[in-house]
Parts: sequence; C-alpha cells; structure tokens
Amino acid sequence: MAEYAVARLDDLLNWGRKGSIWPMTFGLACCAVEMMHIAAPRYDMDRYGVVFRASPRQSDVMIVAGTLTNKMAPALRKVYDQMPDPRWVISMGSCANGGGYYHYSYSVVRGCDRIVPVDIYVPGCPPTAEALLYGVLQLQKKVKRMKTVQIWYRK
Amino acid sequence: MSNITKFLALDKVATFFNIIKQNGGIRGSLYKLYRQDELKDGTLVGEDKFGNKYFENPRFFYGRNRWVEYSDKYNMNYDGSQVPAEWFGWLHYKTDLPPHLDPSRPKYKWMLDGNENLSGTTGQYTPYSTTRPTVEPWQPKPRSS
Repeated sequence: MAEYAVARLDDLLNWGRKGSIWPMTFGLACCAVEMMHIAAPRYDMDRYGVVFRASPRQSDVMIVAGTLTNKMAPALRKVYDQMPDPRWVISMGSCANGGGYYHYSYSVVRGCDRIVPVDIYVPGCPPTAEALLYGVLQLQKKVKRMKTVQIWYRK
Repeated sequence: MSNITKFLALDKVATFFNIIKQNGGIRGSLYKLYRQDELKDGTLVGEDKFGNKYFENPRFFYGRNRWVEYSDKYNMNYDGSQVPAEWFGWLHYKTDLPPHLDPSRPKYKWMLDGNENLSGTTGQYTPYSTTRPTVEPWQPKPRSS
C-alpha cells in the first residue's frame, strides 16, 4: 500500500519534471543552428514545455550542440556543475558524441561524455531538428521512468 | 443562406460538433484530448499492421494535414518509431500514395520488418568492443584517511 502511494508520488513528480524540461542555451558549433530550429515555429519545442533558459542555475538539461574543443571543456564542465539537480545532458551531433570529423584533431575532446555524463546521444552531422526533438522526447521517456521517491523510501 | 451561416460563423460551430462526433462523443473526445492533446477531424486513409490509423484533412495547414493516431494498445507509450517504414513516406510528404495504393513499391523476401526503438528497455542495443583498449583509464587512488 505504502509502496503504491510512493510509486504514484513518483509519477506525479516525473510528470511535472518531464513537462517542463528547460534546456540551457549553450551552442558550440553548427549543431546550434539546428537547435535554434527546434525553438522556431515549425518544430516548436514550446509545446512540450521545453523552453530555453539563459542561466545554468535555472535549467534542467544541457544540450551539447557541436564540437567540444579542449579550450571549451573546462567552461562546459563549469556550466554543468552550476546546474541544479536533477540535471540531464543531451549530446547532439557526431562531434559531441565521439569527436566525429575532428576525432583525430589535436584540440578537440573525443566525445563530450569524457567531460560530463550523457543521457541521450543524438546521431547526425548535424542532426535534423526532428532528430533532436525525438531526442528530447526520449529524454522525457527516461524522466518518466525515474524512481526518486521510491529509492528514498526503500532506504 | 450559406452566406449568412458563414457570416455568423455557424459553420465553425458545425465543424466543432462534427469533430466531437467523429472522435466518439464527449467521453471519446476527452480520452483523445488526454492521449494526444489534440482533437482533429479527418478522413481515414489507412491502417497499418500494428493498428495505427492514418488520417488526412487538407483543411489544416500543410505539415499538420497528415497525422497518425497510434493504436490503443500502446496507451500513452507511443513513439515515432512505431510508424512502419511503408507509411513513413506518406506521413512525411515523400509520396502522396499510401502503401496499399502504390503499385511501384519494391517487395523482396529479404526485407525485414522494422521494429520500434527499444532504448531504455531490456531489448536495447548495447555496443561492445572485441579489441584491446588503446588507452589506460586513470583510476584515482581511494583516499586513505
């Protein structure tokens, strides 16, 4: 009985979280142009409650859009550390996934998962706005499965 | 007469009641609103092997005039990858011919059925490597104090 109540509390929490995923405005390279497209009227991420926030302290998810260079890596980590829990990361495009075209470059991090823990990888070079939106929906599915209260209760 | 109804916007009211009627009355309309956040009227173009229904209504703006209503068995867990490949082209305006009206589609026996995205379930794809790793990861020493 208590287990059931706790599970429904989780459902409520997850419903609130997945309906208001606020990404950090953080574009690194050309993938950011596609990231702008999902904010524009044609793909309109607003209808899923996804609104760009300019401050890391008020955002839930960071979309790593583009090549992560060695010079940018400390800044990216700092921005990630400034985000409040719970936080998620969407790695967008092949450069952020694993270095991509610049995998053998001397100045590029070979995948942003070496810097921050990544939840969703969106493939493509650059991924279409549709693909990124699908990634956001996959993240919503992942949020829907979270068991925050249940884990707290079992402890 | 039709001018008067148009002037009084009564045709919009008629459309509204038509939409409610087509979506299965008030109860059915509320269920559809809960499930897909949208109420639309349209003509049923076809149904695929999973039970997803495809609709069209040219009254809506291009890009929103073709849509899919996922089968009831998926409940709230519907996903874009549940649309099979033969309907993808019609849904994304690659072709105007739905699969059962298009005679020129290739059909070979080696063609596999598409499956939905299994990420996050037990059937998900997990990559693995069979070669020795070229980098040695740094393992921090546990703090002894």
